Amino acid sequence: MNWEEYASNALKSFAEVTTAGELAEAHTAWLGRKSELKVGLRNVRDRETGMALNAVRERLEEAFAAREAELERGALVQLDQQLDVTLPGTRLRRGRLHPLTQIRREVEDIFLGLGYEIVDTREVETVWHNFDALSQPLTHPSRSHRDTFYINDDTLLRTHTSTGQIRVMEERQPPIYIATLGRTYRRDTPSPKNTPSFHQVEALAVDRGITLADLKGTLMHFFRAMFGEGRDVRMRTSFFPFTEPSVEFDVTCFLCAGEGCPFCKYTGWFEMGGAGAVDPAVFEKMGYDPEEWSGFAWGLGLDRIAAQRHGIPDIRMFWENDLRVLRQF
Amino acid sequence: MKVPISWLREYVPIEMPIAELADRLVMSTCEVDGIEAVGVADVDGNLGLFRVGRVLDAVKHPNADRLQLCQVDVGAGNPRQIVCGAWNFGAGATVGVALPGAVLPNGLQLEQRKVRGELSDGMILAEDEIELGTDHSGIMLLPNGLEPGTPLADVLPLTETVLELETSHNRPDLLAVYGIAREVAALYDLELTPPPGTDPQRDADEPVDVTIEDFEACPRYIGRLFRGATIGPSPVWLRARLLAAGMRPISNVVDITNYVMLALGNPLHAFDYAKLAGGKIVVRRAKPGEKLRTLDGVERELESYDLMIADADRSVALAGIMGGEETEIGDGTTEILLEAANFDPYAIFRTSERLRLRTEGSNRWEKGVDPYLPEQAAKLAAQLIVELAGASWVGHADVHAGLPEPPVVRFRPERTDAVLGIETPPDEQHAILGRLEFGVRGEMVSVPTWRARDVTREIDVVEEVARFRLGDVPARLPTRQAMFGRLSKHQRIRRRIEDVLVGFGYAEAYTWTLVPEESEIVAVRLQEPLSSEQAVLRTSLTEGLLASARRNVDAGNDDIALFEQAHVYLPTGEQLPEERWRVGGIAQGGFAFAKGTIEGLYAALNVKPSFQSADDLPAAGRGARTDEGWVASVREPELPGEWGAFELDVDALVDRVPDLIVYEDVITYPPVRQDLAFVVSDEVTAGELVAAAREAAGHELREMSAFDVYRGGQVEPGKKSIAFSVTFQSSDRTLTDEDAAELRNRIVSALERAFGAQLRA
Repeated sequence: MNWEEYASNALKSFAEVTTAGELAEAHTAWLGRKSELKVGLRNVRDRETGMALNAVRERLEEAFAAREAELERGALVQLDQQLDVTLPGTRLRRGRLHPLTQIRREVEDIFLGLGYEIVDTREVETVWHNFDALSQPLTHPSRSHRDTFYINDDTLLRTHTSTGQIRVMEERQPPIYIATLGRTYRRDTPSPKNTPSFHQVEALAVDRGITLADLKGTLMHFFRAMFGEGRDVRMRTSFFPFTEPSVEFDVTCFLCAGEGCPFCKYTGWFEMGGAGAVDPAVFEKMGYDPEEWSGFAWGLGLDRIAAQRHGIPDIRMFWENDLRVLRQF
Repeated sequence: MKVPISWLREYVPIEMPIAELADRLVMSTCEVDGIEAVGVADVDGNLGLFRVGRVLDAVKHPNADRLQLCQVDVGAGNPRQIVCGAWNFGAGATVGVALPGAVLPNGLQLEQRKVRGELSDGMILAEDEIELGTDHSGIMLLPNGLEPGTPLADVLPLTETVLELETSHNRPDLLAVYGIAREVAALYDLELTPPPGTDPQRDADEPVDVTIEDFEACPRYIGRLFRGATIGPSPVWLRARLLAAGMRPISNVVDITNYVMLALGNPLHAFDYAKLAGGKIVVRRAKPGEKLRTLDGVERELESYDLMIADADRSVALAGIMGGEETEIGDGTTEILLEAANFDPYAIFRTSERLRLRTEGSNRWEKGVDPYLPEQAAKLAAQLIVELAGASWVGHADVHAGLPEPPVVRFRPERTDAVLGIETPPDEQHAILGRLEFGVRGEMVSVPTWRARDVTREIDVVEEVARFRLGDVPARLPTRQAMFGRLSKHQRIRRRIEDVLVGFGYAEAYTWTLVPEESEIVAVRLQEPLSSEQAVLRTSLTEGLLASARRNVDAGNDDIALFEQAHVYLPTGEQLPEERWRVGGIAQGGFAFAKGTIEGLYAALNVKPSFQSADDLPAAGRGARTDEGWVASVREPELPGEWGAFELDVDALVDRVPDLIVYEDVITYPPVRQDLAFVVSDEVTAGELVAAAREAAGHELREMSAFDVYRGGQVEPGKKSIAFSVTFQSSDRTLTDEDAAELRNRIVSALERAFGAQLRA
C-alpha cells in the first residue's frame, strides 16, 4: 500500500466535497472504522509502520477538521445571504421619559456638575414656611385664597419651591449649595399658559463672601449648559420679600439670538426667573449671622421652558399623557 | 400703571427716546409692559389733516331727515361741504374737522364721498372718534375765537404715547405719574418740578367734623369742605389724560379725585356733603349686622373688622375701597366733602380680600401709601375743584395722632461693594442716594417718607444703590470650600426605577395631585377646591393612571403602557400629611405583563419580592400584594382587552435595596439544573409550591421558577401541571448526583405532604 498516495487522494476528496454530508461520507471512506487506513493501523505489527500510519491519520484528521470548519462557515455565509435586510426588525416597545422629567434631569445634572446637592422637599407646607419665613407681607396677593390652595388657615400647597430654602437652612449650617425641584401649586384655572400645578427649580448658595457677581456667573453657566454657548444673562431690578437686592434674570432669546423677534417682543431677551441676594432677615430667622454669611437664591419654572423649547403650544398637554404626544420625546 | 408721556413731561424734562427710557426703567426700576401710541397717529403728516373749522352754514340734508349739510371754513381754500349726523350745533360753531386722507385712531381712513347724493368732503369730529372722551351724543364743540385752519393738535391733546409699567409690591410710590417722574429724574439726574397742587384761596373757615376712632387703621384724615360746586363734564385735557391712563371720565369732581390719585398716588374720595347725616365723618370699624350698598350697586355685608367711613348715623363708605351709593356725587350735588386720608395696608387688604373687591384705591392702600402725602393731594384736588367746578373752599380739618418719623439707617458703602462684587466709590453711592432724595449725614441715611415702608435697614439702602449699577455686575463663580455634587441613594434609585420601566416599554405620565373626593378614602381636603374633580390630595397614583389609560384608548392609541413616579399624600392626624414616593403603572398585556414588570423592577433593584394573593386591590381586579405594594389585573368596560396595573411604595423599596452588592461565587462549584413538573389541584399556587420547596431544600436550592402551566389532556379535571426549572448549587462544594437527588427528594416529598402534589415523570 502506498500511504502517500492514499493520503493525497484523501486530501483531494476532502477538498472536492462541497457539503457537510459529502464530507462526512469522505471521512467514513478515508478515516472511518472500515477504511484502509484504520484497518491498516489495527493490523500494524511494527513500531515504524505504526508511527508512519499514525502520522498520516493525524494529517488527514487535521485536514478534515479544517475543511469541516470551512464548509460550516460557507453554509453560514450562504444562510446570511438569504437575509432580507430591508425587512423591519423585531418590534420592541420603547418607553419614554416624560419631557418634564427629561428637563428635570438635565437641570439636576447641571447642578451636580456645579457641586450642588439635589434636595427633595415637601409640597404640603405650613403658611410659615411658604410665606412668613420668607417675609411675605400680610397684604401680598399671593397669600390670598384666590391665588393659593389652602388646606386650612395654617397649611397650604406650596406656591413656590422657595420653601425648600427654609427647609434646608432649618436643618443645616453653611456652606450650603443646594437645588430643589418639584411640584408647586397656584389656584389658576387650567389654560394653555397656566395649570394649577406646575414645576419649579430653586437654587440656594450660602457661603462667605457670596456676591451678585457669583449669582450672575452661576446663571450664565447654567443657561449656557442648558441652551448652548453664546447665551448671555442680564439681571434687572425686581422685588421678592426674601431677597435683597432682588432681580429678575433674562437670557438671550433662543430664537433670534438677541437680534429681536416677535417671540421675545423685540427685546432680544427671554424672561427666565427671579433671584437675589438672600435677605439678612431670612438669615436671622434661621440663626445665621448675616455679617458672616451671604448668599444668593434663584428659581424658575420648568414647564414653560420645556414647552417653549419643544414648541408645545398648550402646557396642559404635559398632564394629558397622550401617547401620540409622549412618544415624540 | 399707564403713564401718558405728555403728563410725565410736565414734571420732568425728558428728551431721550421713550424706548431708551423704557430700557433704563427695566434695568433699575420696574417692568415695562409696552409703549403704546394712543389717539391720532402721528405718522406721514396725518396730524396735519386734523384742523379747527368754523361752520358757516348748516341746513337739513335734502335727501335725509337725520343728516345736516354743512359748509365749513377750514382755513385755506373754499369752504368745504360736510355731511354730519349730529344736531348739537349750527352756523357759527367752532368744531374739529378731519380732512379726506386722515386716519382715525380706530384705523379708518376718510375719503371724499357722496352721502345720499351730496358730497361730503371731510368729517366733523365727536370726542370719542379721536379718543378724547366717550361721548358720541353730538360733535365736540370748541371754544369760539380759534382761527379756522389751526392744526387741531395745537388746541387738543390729539396724540399721546403711553408707557405701561408693572411696578412691584414694594414701590407704591411708582403708582403715580409724579412718582415715576421722581424716579426718572433720579435715574438721569434731571431736575424735577415741585409736586403739583397749591392751595386755592379759602373763602371761609367752617368747622369740618372728623373723628378717627382707630388711628392704627386710619393714621390720618384730611377733610375739606366745598360749597357752590357745579357738577358737569371735565374739560377735554382732563378727560384725555384719564382715558390715556386707562380710567373712564365721569364728572368733574369724581374725575378730579381720580386725576389726583394718578398724579400723586393718594386715592381720594368725594362725598355729597348734604347727604352726610350731621355733617360728620367718623372713621370706625363696622357695627354688628351693618350693611352698605357700594357705588357698584352691590349690598355688602360687613364684618366687625371692616374699616368704615361713617356719618352721624351710618356707614357711608368702605374705607379705601369704595364709596357708598347714598352719598355719591350726583348732578345735583353742590356741597362736597373731600377725603384725603391714609389707611393701613392690612386693614384695607383684609376687607377687599374677603369681599373679592379690588379697586384702584385698595390696590394702592394694600401696598402702603405715604402718610405725608394726603396734604399735597388735598392741595391739588382743592385747586382743581375750585377751578373746574367753580366751588369755594370753606373748611379744612387734618386729624392724626402724630405722623411717623421716616427711618434713619446706618449705611456703610462697603456693604454695597460686598453685595454687588464690584466697587462703587462712596461719593458716587452718596450721590445716587441724594438723587433719590435720601438724606446722607455721615454714616447715617434718612429715608424719604414715600419710601419709609420699604427702606428700613442697611441692606435696603444697599439695594437702592445696587439697582443703579446692576448692568455693570460681572459674571464670576463662588470660591468653594466644600462640594456637594452627588445624588442621594434615594434619588439614584428613583432614576433607576424610571429607566427600568422605560426599558420595559412604559411611557412616563404626569397626573394631577388633586383628585375627586371618594367617601371611603381618608384624604387631605382643600378648603376651596377649584372643582369637585380636584378636591383632595391623592393617596394613590392609580386613579390618575387609569384616567390616562382611558384617554389613550379613546384616542385610538395602541400598545399602551404608562407609569408615574410621584408623591402621594397620606393623612397623619398632624398638621402635615406624609408625602411618600410611589411608582405606579398600567399596561396592556394583562396581569402577567404587569407582574413581569415589577418582577423585573425588583430584580433591577436587587430586592426579592414575595407575592401574596389578594382581591381587595384598588384596580378592582384579582392580584397579589408584595411588602411594598401590589400588582393586579384591571377589569373595567372602558379598558377593553387585558390590562394590568401596579403600585409600589418607593420609600419602602429603597430601604430594601442593598447599599453594596457582594460578589457571590458562580464559578468554583458548578450548579445542577433540572426540570420538575408537579400535578396539583387548581387552587394551589406556584408561589405556595416554591415557598414550601425552599423550606424543604434550604439554601442549596438556588432558583426555582415556574415556566409552564398545563391543564387538560393527560391531567385530570380540576388539576393542573406546573413545570419548574430548578437550580441546585452549593457555595462550599461541588454537588454530586446523589446530593442533587437528595435535594430533589426532599422537595418532592414536602410538596406531596403539603399539597398532595404528584411528580410528573
